[in-house]
Amino acid sequence: MSMAYPLPSGLSPATVTNTASLIRIVTLALISGAAIASRLFAVINFESIIHEFDPWFNFRATKVLASQGFYEFWNWFDPTAWYPLGRVVGGTIYPGLMATSGVIYNILHALNLPVDIRNICVLLAPGFSALTAWATYMFTKELKDESAGLLAAAFIGIAPGYISRSVAGSYDNEAIAIFLLMFTFYCWIKALKQGSAFFGMLAGVFYFYMVAAWGGYAFITNMIPLHALILILMGRFTSRLYVGYSSWYAIGTLASMQVPFVGFQPVKTSEHMAALGVFGLLQIIAFSQLVRSHLSSKQFQNLLFVAVIGTGILGSLAIVGLTYKGWIAPWTGRFYSLWDTGYAKKYIPIIASVSEHQPTAWPSFFMDLQLLMFLFPAGVFLCFKQLRDEHVFVIIYAVVGSYFAGVMVRLMLTLTPVVCVSAAVALSTLLDTYIDPVEPLVPEEAAPSASGDDSTTTSASGSKKAKKPVFGLSESTTTQSTPKLRTRPGIFGLDARLVVIFNAFGMLSFFVFHCTWVTSNAYSSPSVVLASANPDGSQHIIDDFREAYYWLRQNTPETSVVMSWWDYGYQIAGMADRPTLVDNNTWNNTHIATVGKAMSSTEEVAYPILRKHDVDYVLVIFGGLIGYSGDDINKFLWMVRIAQGVWPDEIQEPNYFTPHGEYRVDDQASTTMKNSLMYKMSYYRFAELFGGGQAMDRVRNQVMPKHGPTLDYLDEAFTSENWIVRIFQVKKEDLLGRDLKSANAFSQGKKRKRSKPTVRRRAIV
Amino acid sequence: MMLLPWLPFLLLNFAAMLHAKSSTGDSVLVVLEPSLDQSNFSVFFDGLRARGYELTFRAPKALTPTIIKDDVPSFSHVILFAPETKSFAQDITPQSLVQLLSLKTNLLIALSPKQTPLSSLAAEFSLVLPPPGTPAVSHFPERDTPASIFPVDVSASNSILSSTKAPVWYSGISHSLGNNPLLVPILRAPVESFATDSSDDSGAPSIVDAAEKGGEGLWAGGNMGLVTGFQATTGARITWVGGVSVFSNEFANKEVSKGKASGNAAFSQDVAAWTFQESLVLRIDETTHHKVNESTSLSQYTTNDVVTYTARISGWDSGKAQWSPYSGLKDMQLEFTMLDPHIRTALPPVKGSPGTYSTTFRVPDRHGVFKFVIDYKRKGLTHLQSSTTVPVVPPRHDGYPRFLSAAWPYYVGAISTSIGFILFSTIWLAGDVREMKKGKTSKTE
Repeated sequence: MSMAYPLPSGLSPATVTNTASLIRIVTLALISGAAIASRLFAVINFESIIHEFDPWFNFRATKVLASQGFYEFWNWFDPTAWYPLGRVVGGTIYPGLMATSGVIYNILHALNLPVDIRNICVLLAPGFSALTAWATYMFTKELKDESAGLLAAAFIGIAPGYISRSVAGSYDNEAIAIFLLMFTFYCWIKALKQGSAFFGMLAGVFYFYMVAAWGGYAFITNMIPLHALILILMGRFTSRLYVGYSSWYAIGTLASMQVPFVGFQPVKTSEHMAALGVFGLLQIIAFSQLVRSHLSSKQFQNLLFVAVIGTGILGSLAIVGLTYKGWIAPWTGRFYSLWDTGYAKKYIPIIASVSEHQPTAWPSFFMDLQLLMFLFPAGVFLCFKQLRDEHVFVIIYAVVGSYFAGVMVRLMLTLTPVVCVSAAVALSTLLDTYIDPVEPLVPEEAAPSASGDDSTTTSASGSKKAKKPVFGLSESTTTQSTPKLRTRPGIFGLDARLVVIFNAFGMLSFFVFHCTWVTSNAYSSPSVVLASANPDGSQHIIDDFREAYYWLRQNTPETSVVMSWWDYGYQIAGMADRPTLVDNNTWNNTHIATVGKAMSSTEEVAYPILRKHDVDYVLVIFGGLIGYSGDDINKFLWMVRIAQGVWPDEIQEPNYFTPHGEYRVDDQASTTMKNSLMYKMSYYRFAELFGGGQAMDRVRNQVMPKHGPTLDYLDEAFTSENWIVRIFQVKKEDLLGRDLKSANAFSQGKKRKRSKPTVRRRAIV
Repeated sequence: MMLLPWLPFLLLNFAAMLHAKSSTGDSVLVVLEPSLDQSNFSVFFDGLRARGYELTFRAPKALTPTIIKDDVPSFSHVILFAPETKSFAQDITPQSLVQLLSLKTNLLIALSPKQTPLSSLAAEFSLVLPPPGTPAVSHFPERDTPASIFPVDVSASNSILSSTKAPVWYSGISHSLGNNPLLVPILRAPVESFATDSSDDSGAPSIVDAAEKGGEGLWAGGNMGLVTGFQATTGARITWVGGVSVFSNEFANKEVSKGKASGNAAFSQDVAAWTFQESLVLRIDETTHHKVNESTSLSQYTTNDVVTYTARISGWDSGKAQWSPYSGLKDMQLEFTMLDPHIRTALPPVKGSPGTYSTTFRVPDRHGVFKFVIDYKRKGLTHLQSSTTVPVVPPRHDGYPRFLSAAWPYYVGAISTSIGFILFSTIWLAGDVREMKKGKTSKTE
């Protein structure tokens, strides 16, 4: 038995175990620290502020929960959202996130720690990322061993794919959902392995938490049944599977139906039918096993044949019948768009218009996962080598997760955990192989030393554990499963080991650098506050959004209704505290289309719409002055498309293009485009800013005409410092009942054309 | 909510109560053309003074007193008797007159056949004036005055001209009314009248032109207006009079027939009373809403609640110069609106409680932000508008019925399953123990 390098000897196994677990705990604590710390870039570079769009709603809801208690929150009807339809908030949200923050808030206040609710919300995601790291550790430990677990925890702690959704301030459902996802999966694996009703129940409880927290719970709802089904098809039905699945399904489903937003969906919608079907299948199989134990095999075969055919026909007839009758809702559009990436664009433009619903570009896989992307297939391959039940789970997860991540950018998030897990398995196997000091036996000696192998293994395993303190990595368990007669594959010498290990550590450190860089540069922007660089390199903060929202808050009556494109609804509600027509909870397509129609029509057409909805202010985002490309003119075509979906006769997308099919805003822009309310509001008085010089739209790089659009039905009320936010006030009906265009002409002193008396009867010919 | 905008007026009224009969104030600026002598209109002006108005006179080109200063109107009412003035002082422009209306100042404007800034302003009120120099004439009834001075009968049903009994002498232009719903016709032209640019009956080029074009080119007939009111959305009133002589002493003292005095004196006071917010002035004092059989107003209602809505309406009593409850509206309606009216119901006066209008209805089974809307617009009357926003919410989580008879199968299912589970567990556990005991006993035996 030759060793590549000496190991310390004379340590008792107890010392080794204790030291190893101490180091594991310390490492996990450090990983948690790293996970939290790397998410604080947003707070350090900017401030403790809620990011983006949806988090603003969650934050607002949490404030209601914290100040008025849970029951008021549950019954909260928000009259300011979707004016004048209102929104039954309590029944249309996943309350898990707010409830979590509310509980933390109450605990802290019970401990006399008067922490501001905003800080709890801002720091919730980093806090839960530490828990995610721990859950991933537990999950991977079940898959391989502790060392792989630690690697996986480290990966998930800093992988940009997950950080993108969980930086401080990104107070969204995903912030806690990934932890719940991983922990539910861990409980499921554990339940499956042990046949434990306790872990099955635990999986059910965490599944409930997940259902309460994120709409993506459907992923679990379908992953676990899929796993169970594949295990059954592989002939791996065991009573452990039966106990684990049944306890998870029964408790999880009943619990999930308590969430008001979910209600009876688990027994009524197609997305949940797989779980129900597999549950039924398991009962049938378990029953048939019972019957088999009481019957002769011939009888049993006949019975089985009849039963299988019978239940198959009955079951599918029942599903078809129920779907046809409308008892089971057919698949939702969002679900179809997962299978056909063109579906949403054709039928539901409102879903396709969201940037995070676009298919993923290849570079973003590398950006979000870097090194892990290459280790991922290797890890999946290693799972195939062992193929225990939990490995089957990881393989299914890898396949499904990769597909979904390819379809939608935001589903990169669900892929990241499995990538981290399998990459950790691959890397830890690599390190196991190369750090293991045991050198393989020379082939000639293989046969004679085969008998002595057992003794060396035992001694080697002792020494292997002894080296743990040195590298902080534990040894693989592969030795046990190696066939005795074959020689163990291994590495000779120290140089080969060093080359590979240095390489591996080099890649790992580059991974860390990459993650840090991506996190600080790409994923830590609050998007409410923008940063740009001054010529001298110092940071310049562009704070137009808050400037405008606070203007609304302080200068308008509390009841004045603000119309904007739906992207800004939550922010207006959160920061300006004013009623909005539409917001990011895109539940009413017609209402959004109404706003789209108002924006894309002429003033005369839009004005009655605005008045009917009691709109007092219209808010548009305009980036043309400083080159902010996410502005409303760039989103304008989506407004047109969505409006066209409802009013195909009045709004037609081709009218907004030039005859050559270009989307232009300058002189050559089409008349429809130039007369649209959105265009007019965006470029109102824009040319004046350049004092007779060439007015240049810096986003679209087009020279604007010298004389910009005029507005008759709206008044400019506010324009922010960099012109990003422009707010227009809707004029009241004219004092004298004229249309506002002629009223405006009159007040500017223009002569009105002499009119003839109105003709009341046909002229006599 | 609705009360607040009225508060300043209430205070104003207490101050003005002793003097004027108008609901909005007693200061009147009379812009009088130099060619018109004040004494020629003494019947009209003295009548106004007798009713408590303070008249201030000024020439169109005089610089003071200004009609508006720092966007605050200097007078409650303005009479513009300058039908032939082509240029006014700087403060009197069409725009400033419209601004006065937006500031709730009332205007009484006289026109003439001449083209002036005021006649072009009339177009903004959708009055269409005939070409310059074409006064209205009528050859009927037979009389000894020129065709351009003719008596006009006042219809008895006209609520504005309630005290005018006799026909009114008229001389001036007629105008055609546009389709603006804010117009309030006060005096229509006689059916035999028409506009012409000739004093004799032949060779009137404009008539010839119009006749050749045919159709409505003729400025003729009973659809033309002579005196037309207009109520702006602010409630301010403006009255256009086609000829200033309607208010003159000459017409007031002129007999329409032997021994029968003309109605001009009463007519001019009636017109001034309507224009200066004395007659047909209403207001909504307050609106309240509450669940039926309760008295406190809720900030939000639940779907299917039965709600009582009450409005208190006062009318201006110019006799007593005070607001008093008014129950005279029979056709008022209440709408419960979210985008469209979900409920539109009559809002009748409550018997025995003057000025109170009330109705009770069931809130629709639809949640959202609803508005109680009163939108009562009748020609001549002050427009009554009130909108109270109130959210209608779905029932609370514990607001639904607790036990439903229809759900008994499910209750029975749940209870029986629970009982079955307990029985099964007991039997299973107990049976197991007995077997163990048996085994044990057999062993010991």
